[in-house]
Amino acid sequence: MKKQSNKDLRILLLGLDNAGKTTILKKLASEDINHITPTQGFNIKTVQSSGFRLNVWDIGGQRKIRPYWRNYFENTDVLIYVIDSADRKRFDETGEQLGDLLDEDKLAGIPVLVFANKQDLLSAASASEIAENLNLHKIRDRKWQIQACSATTGEGISVCNKINPVNRILLMSIDWRFTSCCVYGGKNVGQLIIRESMICISEYSYLGLDLIS
Amino acid sequence: MAKSTGTASREIMSGFKLNWMNLRDADSGKVLWQGTEDLSLPGVEHEARVPKKILRCRAVSREINFSSEEQMNRFRLEQRVLFKDKCLEEWFFEFGFVIPQSTNTWQSLIEAAPESEMLPASVLNGNVVIETKFFDDAMLVSTSRVRIYYV
Repeated sequence: MKKQSNKDLRILLLGLDNAGKTTILKKLASEDINHITPTQGFNIKTVQSSGFRLNVWDIGGQRKIRPYWRNYFENTDVLIYVIDSADRKRFDETGEQLGDLLDEDKLAGIPVLVFANKQDLLSAASASEIAENLNLHKIRDRKWQIQACSATTGEGISVCNKINPVNRILLMSIDWRFTSCCVYGGKNVGQLIIRESMICISEYSYLGLDLIS
Repeated sequence: MAKSTGTASREIMSGFKLNWMNLRDADSGKVLWQGTEDLSLPGVEHEARVPKKILRCRAVSREINFSSEEQMNRFRLEQRVLFKDKCLEEWFFEFGFVIPQSTNTWQSLIEAAPESEMLPASVLNGNVVIETKFFDDAMLVSTSRVRIYYV
């Protein structure tokens, strides 16, 4: 499980087709979300700051693409799984896909953040309803969290300097990969910040020291 | 440079297309330049006319979109920003697997150098080239060169 660099973080964004993965990625970057088409491969965003590199991989969710997901598991630090909360007919399907991912050896122990997307739709199921449906509380072998959001309105993935769920997942990944690094809560909370336009990481010097150790 | 004469490599090269490239202000997400001509045409140097204000952006994103007919197992790119043929900045990125008949994007976000280290637009104008080389393992699949003009 050796990485090329200690300072590379890899985040994998998966979910069924039309769940809103690309929209989330674009929304985080303040980009136009009006002309998004089904992803026929991958979209990668790389953010580099002071030698620290964060790569977010969004892979298409169509049925014919899903068999290729496994080619992108290696070296993943955090899995973000996106669900269309209004697509109740496919809750079973999305639950099965997530279950399969959690059984993958290459993703063993990797923290997972579930986005219950499309909360702006009237028919959307709540995050707790989805958590129950998907038996998330039975996950024991990793850190996990569910977050209600709407990629189109920005609610739930909105960006601030406080510890929002995306920050927390980054903290999880750092904690997971570098056990000596304890950055939860307290005065160090602000170290990982989601800027309004992009995921980025600040106070590198402190993090840099800990990440290398 | 490694060269392969196998049919497989020829198919990878002929099935590869660089669809477009753009530059954005990373803070606003606004596109400052987009090139939609076939940027992977061999031997052609493309031109980008970019508003001068890009030099004042705190961060700029470069995005490329490409398609591949064939599957690739170790796809990677090398991107260099050249000023008068001198390399100012260098990126190596490994995609790894590429799905057959896929269209993919890669966006990299670059923070600006401190203003004190920034060369003025008049000096940079026409002297900056973004060179992107695509490889499957050791085989060169495509090259693109875009010369930047600040207008």
